[in-house]
Amino acid sequence: MTPEPAAGTDPSAAPELAHVGPDTPVADVLAAVSAWIEDHVPAPWREAADNGGPAQVRRVRSPEQYRAWYPVYGRSGLVAPGWEVRYGGLAWPRETAAAVDKLTARYHLPRLNPLGLNLAAPALFAHGTEEQRLRFLPPMVRADEVWCQLFSEPGSGSDLASLSTRASRDGDWWVINGQKIWTTWADQAAFAVLLARTDPDVPKHQGITYFLIDMRQPGIEIRPLRHMGGETEFFQVYLDGARVPDTQRVGAEGGGWKVAQATLSGERQMVSGASSGGVDRIGGGSTRHLIRLARQLSADGGPGGWDDPAMRGRLVRLYCEERARAWTNQRVRAGVARGRAPGPESSIGKVHGTELNQRVQAAAADLLGAAGLAWPGAADDPEDYARSMPAEVRGMLRSRANTIEGGTSEVNRNVLAERVLGLPKEPDPWRGKPWRELPKS
Amino acid sequence: MDGTDLDAILVLVRDLIRQRVIPHEAAIDETDEMPASLRDEAARVGLFGFAIPEEYGGLGLSMAQEVRLVMELGYTTPAFRSMFGTNNGIAGHVLLEGGTPEQKEEFLPKLASGEWTASFALTEEEAGSDPAGLATSLTASGSGYVVEGTKRYITNAPVADVFMVFARHADGPASGKISVVLVEAGTPGVTVGPKDQKMGQHGAWTADVGFRGVQVPAAALIGRPGEGYGIAMRCLAHGRLHIAALCVGLAQRALDETVTYALARRQGGQPIAGYQLIQGLIADSQTDVLAGRALVISAAAAFDSGADRRLGPSCAKYFCSEMVGRVTDRAVQVHGGAGYMRGVPAERFYRDARLFRIYEGTSQIQQLVIAKQVLRAAAGRS
Repeated sequence: MTPEPAAGTDPSAAPELAHVGPDTPVADVLAAVSAWIEDHVPAPWREAADNGGPAQVRRVRSPEQYRAWYPVYGRSGLVAPGWEVRYGGLAWPRETAAAVDKLTARYHLPRLNPLGLNLAAPALFAHGTEEQRLRFLPPMVRADEVWCQLFSEPGSGSDLASLSTRASRDGDWWVINGQKIWTTWADQAAFAVLLARTDPDVPKHQGITYFLIDMRQPGIEIRPLRHMGGETEFFQVYLDGARVPDTQRVGAEGGGWKVAQATLSGERQMVSGASSGGVDRIGGGSTRHLIRLARQLSADGGPGGWDDPAMRGRLVRLYCEERARAWTNQRVRAGVARGRAPGPESSIGKVHGTELNQRVQAAAADLLGAAGLAWPGAADDPEDYARSMPAEVRGMLRSRANTIEGGTSEVNRNVLAERVLGLPKEPDPWRGKPWRELPKS
Repeated sequence: MDGTDLDAILVLVRDLIRQRVIPHEAAIDETDEMPASLRDEAARVGLFGFAIPEEYGGLGLSMAQEVRLVMELGYTTPAFRSMFGTNNGIAGHVLLEGGTPEQKEEFLPKLASGEWTASFALTEEEAGSDPAGLATSLTASGSGYVVEGTKRYITNAPVADVFMVFARHADGPASGKISVVLVEAGTPGVTVGPKDQKMGQHGAWTADVGFRGVQVPAAALIGRPGEGYGIAMRCLAHGRLHIAALCVGLAQRALDETVTYALARRQGGQPIAGYQLIQGLIADSQTDVLAGRALVISAAAAFDSGADRRLGPSCAKYFCSEMVGRVTDRAVQVHGGAGYMRGVPAERFYRDARLFRIYEGTSQIQQLVIAKQVLRAAAGRS
């Protein structure tokens, strides 16, 4: 296994929390966490939180400052308070952890490394070995090791199980050859969860194995992809003789599809905002931001803002829908907190939440009017496009991917029809046939 | 122009778009630059003056003919049409509607041949759909006027030879009213700012234009003092049908890209076009395109006959600009991850299409115009 000392939570990083045990009353836990915040969260951030909540914190704190401070948070265990101490958490009951999340929300302490926490960790908890958890979870919590996901391929998106990347045995190692795409954070990642085909002679779902692969090795090359918003958020990853030790296989050989299911459900929740992790939407701000923007527009005497009854009606409809979405997400989280695996409701949330976010972000861009279509900038510099664009335009363009990433709306509607409503399955003429015989894209 | 001639031009333009412009599309988006060769070819085919009468060197198309041509033009990057849109549109029309015979003789042939690129300079920081805040001023000076002010988001400004500038009289009998003056780009005091950064429609440039103590002769004023704004408003219906037709063309292209991809892309061992939910997206887009096309054609016929020059154009502009937004959105969805990435036409058209709901009167303005017409007609009957 990739060597790296990886201790769990560091008690010296959070002496304020030392006396908290599984039976400590929630009120005492919250007092201890408040003391920790007082001692460790920089004063300007705390003042900003007290004066204007998370939005004000975002204004006074740069992402770089937050990243520089993050190890303090990571070592405290508060990033994953429900996890065992040896994994980097605090072993607190789920209800306590949820109450703590509520308390810290106003300080805006988002969890970095969401692909590790939301995708890799569930797979490790469900199917990993104790050695794997001890090795990988603590540095994941601290974001010392950032994670990415090597699932999608140019020819295998919605039909992920048709993937072609091959893993071949070489003694105690596996040798990987293939090409992956849409990999977020491949440039920062130390590790990736990887699906690769270990047996082409069995049906497509049965020949896949799940690995944890070291991204920093000679057999891996990454190339950036520029997306609609002009940024290079995604990468293509070329695996050319990359190597993984068998100790970093998760689950059985050929059992990777089952392991991936734990991960995909996590991704759907993340994109839909139902996750208990730090990402509440991918692309843009909330309807509260819209309403502020509309009020400002009207206060400045512009047309089409809060004083425009048609726009006001549109914003209020979106606000109501977003509240309904948020309450539904709370229900999912409550279920997860009681130990229920996220199931069909994550597909429902994915379909609704992503389409809703696109409508919210479209309204935000509409509020800008012409300023959302053209703006001052260095038009001749290709990097300037993303840099100079208004935040609302960035949110609108980014949200366009929401109904595609993490399972398209069409695939998720099929999942809902088949697994929730019990409707007949989409006919599959290749069912049961070996992967080798399938026509490829 | 008679029907046979029009059919010949449509074939020519269709070939130009598909053989010459489409291969350059990706590079135009990436470099934000329209190749000079394409401008020359557009001028050669007569695209700078298709709406200008033949006596001034244009093609003199009727509205019904123009929308058929523009649907062809819509089949590629909207930046191509932007090169000559203003010459045919508001600039040429303001001259036709309000210009003196001398002004028409002097300026229309230059617009029709493409010798000049015209820019329409109405929008300002505080004035767009509603001209109430228009601050650019026109002050009498000697035998002419002085223009003073700043315009925003002016299409073609960096390459324009002439600006049709909307300005408010600061003095004289027309004080407070808005006129249109023709200002040549080289006139002292005219400054064009850096190109704006834009969400889409790269290759069509917009920029701020400043007018600082710009002296123009009295003959530069279109129509009588204070009439310009009214003249321009009378030209709007023509522009709305034009944009509606452009949206139909772009929607047709986005649909064709969608269908081609859905047939080629395989998932689950079959083309994704075999899946019912993908078929649903294609069917909705095809229905949208046909509805838009039918609406534009019938509204253009009513425009030519004089039966309706207000309601139909606004309905067509409103429906078709929203429609192309839906169709390009579905195009991205069917393309999946590829549709979200640069280098794929569906991605580009999604960014390009958004402008259509905003300029030449936003959807909200069209709703107001439509409702006003309908309610006025109903009140007239009771």
